[in-house]
Parts: sequence; C-alpha cells; structure tokens
Amino acid sequence: MANEVWLLAEAHSGELTAATKELISKAQELAAALGGQPAALVLSSNAAQVAETLLSYGLPKVYSVENPALEHYTTDAFVGAAAALIRQHQPCVLLTGASLQMRDFTAALAADVDAGLGSDCTGVAVRDGHIVAMRPSHGANVINTLGFNSDLVIISLRRQVAPEAQPAGGSGEVIRGQFPQVAQRMRVVKVEDKSNAVNLADSQIIVSGGRGLGSAENYEKLVPTLAQAFNGAYGASRAIVDAGWVPYERQVGQTGKTVSPKLYVACGISGAIQHLAGMRNSGTIVAINKDPDAPIFKVATYGLVGDVNELLPALTEAVEQKTRS
Amino acid sequence: MHAVVFIKQVPQQNSVKITPDKQIDASGIEPIISLFDEYAIEEALLQVEKNGGKVTVVTIGGEEQIDALRKALAMGADQAILVNDPALRNIGSLGAAKVGAAVVRKLGDVDVVFCGKQSTDDETAVFGPAVARYLDMPVLSYVYKVHELDPGAKRVVVDRAMETTTETVEATLPAVLTTVKDLNQPRYPSLLKIKKAQKADIPRWTAADLGLNTAELAPKVTYLDRVPPPPRPKGSMIDGGSAQEKARKLVDVLVNAQVI
Repeated sequence: MANEVWLLAEAHSGELTAATKELISKAQELAAALGGQPAALVLSSNAAQVAETLLSYGLPKVYSVENPALEHYTTDAFVGAAAALIRQHQPCVLLTGASLQMRDFTAALAADVDAGLGSDCTGVAVRDGHIVAMRPSHGANVINTLGFNSDLVIISLRRQVAPEAQPAGGSGEVIRGQFPQVAQRMRVVKVEDKSNAVNLADSQIIVSGGRGLGSAENYEKLVPTLAQAFNGAYGASRAIVDAGWVPYERQVGQTGKTVSPKLYVACGISGAIQHLAGMRNSGTIVAINKDPDAPIFKVATYGLVGDVNELLPALTEAVEQKTRS
Repeated sequence: MHAVVFIKQVPQQNSVKITPDKQIDASGIEPIISLFDEYAIEEALLQVEKNGGKVTVVTIGGEEQIDALRKALAMGADQAILVNDPALRNIGSLGAAKVGAAVVRKLGDVDVVFCGKQSTDDETAVFGPAVARYLDMPVLSYVYKVHELDPGAKRVVVDRAMETTTETVEATLPAVLTTVKDLNQPRYPSLLKIKKAQKADIPRWTAADLGLNTAELAPKVTYLDRVPPPPRPKGSMIDGGSAQEKARKLVDVLVNAQVI
C-alpha cells in the first residue's frame, strides 16, 4: 500500500476552487505526518489542463483521467474512474470537499472500494500515526471523533479546514489513467443556475432573517440590503421558509444549510435549536431581537435588543458609512 | 411497479445526551420519522398511485422503530418490514446500506428505491448512494422534482437540487432516489388508516433471513470520542439610546475585532 494522501481536485473554468486549494494544504500536512506523499486526483473533460495547474502547487504526483463523460458529474462516471485508479495505486487517504456532489461521490466510492468514510467532516489530523476525523452530528449537538480501521480512508471536508495553498512551482509528474468501461446509466440533460443563487456555505458574511421581521415584504426590503452592505449573502430561518416568505435554498438550520461564516447576523430570529444547529460554528455571531430572553442571545458574540425594522436600516447605513470612509 | 422506501425513526429534537460508553441517549425525546424520509414515502405513494403497484417501507433498527413503520402504513404504504437483529446494531451508514441492499435483493422485483437525502440525527447522507452501489443501480440524489418515472420504459427523469444549480438528470430503472425537503407535500393519514395500521402485521427479518454474514458488516469507522460542542464564548450586549447609536457601536466593534 502506497502511503499516498490524495485529494480530489475540482476546477471551474480552469481555475482550482478555493476548497481544492485548502485540500492541497491539508493533504500536504497529512502526508508529512504519515511519512507519505500528497497527490491530486483530477477527473475531468479537460483534466490535462487542470493537472498542469495542480503541479504548479508543488504536488509530486497528479493522477488524471480525461474523458468527455466527465464533463458533468455523474456518480457512475466519477466513481467508476476513481475506483479504477484507487484499486491500481492504493492510496491510504482520499480527501474531497463536502459539496452535495462530493457527498454523493464519497458515499458511492466508499461502498465501491470498501473504504472507511468520514462524511462532512470539520477536521482531519494524524494522531499516533493514524487518521482521525472530526464530524458534527445531531444538529451540531454532538462532536464525533472518528477513527478508522480500513486500508483506505475517505474524508469529505467542509470549508475553512486549512489555509489555501499557494502556487510554489514544481516538477511533479502526471500519471494518466484510462477511463474505465463502466455502465453509464445516467445522463445530465441540463444544468440551470438558480435565480439569485448563492452558495451560502462559501459566504464569509451571512445576514439571516426570521419571523421577527413581521412580513415577507420587510424581509425582502431589509435583509438583502444589509447583506449587500456587508458584501455578504442572505439566509433565513425555517419559520419564514415554511411560511413561504423565502425559498428553501436560503434556509439555514438543521433541515436547511449548515454554515460557518466569519460573521453571521441573525435578525428577528429567536434561536430555535434547529436554527442554532446550522450556524453555531460561525466565527462572530450578531443577534438582533426585540426579546432580550430569546435563546439566540446565548450563542451571540454581540447582542442588540430592539426592533429589527428600525435597527436593520440603521445598521445598513452605518455599515455603508464605514465602508465608504 | 414496486417502490421500496427506507425510513428511519429519529429524535424530534437533537438535544440528545451522550452516555459514558459514547452512545447517543435520546430517551425522553419524542421519536418521529426523519424529515427527509417523509418526502420519500410521499413520492413513492404518488408514483404508485400513478403507475399502479405497491409501496414497501423498510426500517433497519430495534423494536422502538415500529412506530415509524406504522405511520408510513397509515400514510398508505402497502407493507412494512422491520429488519431487527442485535447483530445489526452500530454498523454505521455503510453497514446499514449493505443490509438495505440485501433487503431489496430479497424483495426481488423492485423498480425504484426511495430514501431521504440524509437522516436528521447522524446526517451522513451516505445510505442512498451506498445502497445503490451495493445493488449496482444508478443513484439520483437530492431529488426535488420527479418529471417522469416510467417502470415500463425503465426510465426516470428528475431535477436534482444542488447548491447553486438545478440539474435535470435521466437514468435507467431500477434506480435509487434520495429526496430533499419540499419535493412534495407529505399527506396526513386519516384516523381510519391510523387504526388499521396499528393492527397491521409487520414481519421482522434478521441477518440470517437476509443471508448476511455479519462479520462482513463490521464498521470501518469507530467513535474515539463523542462530546457536546464547546460552549461559545460569553457575548456582550450593545446598548444605546437610539437604533442609530446601537448600529454605529456595533459597526465599530466589528471593525475593531477585524470581522469587517
């Protein structure tokens, strides 16, 4: 078994994603601690170009499979290609991001190659020569430390687990794999951008609104405006998603998105356990609520008691003034 | 057509306790069907109403999970199976998926398998894609709209809800579909159906019934530790005479802390 720590690299329009740059740093760190080598895995319809970019980050090896079937993610094509390379080269760790596609990929791949799997982890490290991973469960009420007893450990990792790697120049080699003969039973017919879509998980600042805003009109008038002043994204509590004020994809919480931005501003959100599950790992939490006993204040770094319909316009103005000055 | 739905009973609130031997203690918390599984049940019922056939609901777990199966029967499922074997406890998501695959194989004539995108307790989102892999079926995860599900033509077309995009994907049947919130509107069972479901005969299957070698189900993941999340540092309140004053003070604090 090779002591190689692989990361699955993802690129958009030829550019490595920020998540991939974090995974490069993490793979380098783990490989050093395990006495092995980091390597990237790229599965793409333009893998050759992405592989060259990856080499410039100082990786000694890049495993690459290029095929038109890899233009859009399908479980069959991606897992088929990855499983073939894994069986051939036998890495001891594979790191991926924790996007929905990667959650799908890692689950099917772990089943295929009989690996140990840590899904949607917030950290991974080497302890006493073994991989351990941290993952929250039960709406972030339980923090699990996972150990593994398999030859291969697959970990899907959330953002902000390592600094983004910087290009360092390099003279590594690209190992080209064949696209295997796999059953291709699924086909992507079309991919459409959602209107006003934003990946909340990638946002550094999130302003969220809840029932305390009083109406969908107030939400629409105040929350996106404040988010824009912060140059951030906007989300919502389950209560107002269920009430139909805001579409589901904006929902932060256990049954919506889990986020950990640098700054989370909760406006008129009482702080139900289901909401806290989705945002309690944020760096700084600001809570704005008229009820001083609202549970949201228990997790807040800074609390403001008052009417959100007065405080949000004032805050938008204060933020705009500060960023103008 | 034959639709199989895997469901799991979970605590309604996740304010669970952790026992000294690192197990989850959810005693005293009301058990419910995991949210995303309700959409899986409803979609199976809708598709079978359209195409004819039957819905089988399956749970892998202890006797306490029987209530979830009875609720699914009350919603309209035709039969329920509880896979209950002490040897199948704590086998993890991948182990459960192996058991699930064995259930589908034993049922034999399955056109489509539904399950929630993830449970709301363990939240691994592994079961659906893994059960598909073990069954050598395609998987369509994060489904929020079913355009077409045609068991005759062996074809399914769905929309998948990704982070910033909607993907329309077609696949061959049989297939595994995992469901997100708002895919449909799960129905409320009638009182009559609830009463009927209480009396329904629910067979118990064991590892032996499924021809499973439990040694092969040993989990590859162990819990080295399980703890509550660290408490957040104590916060402070920002006071002021007016909304403007409070807002200005907050912005100053955020700037000083280099948050913005």
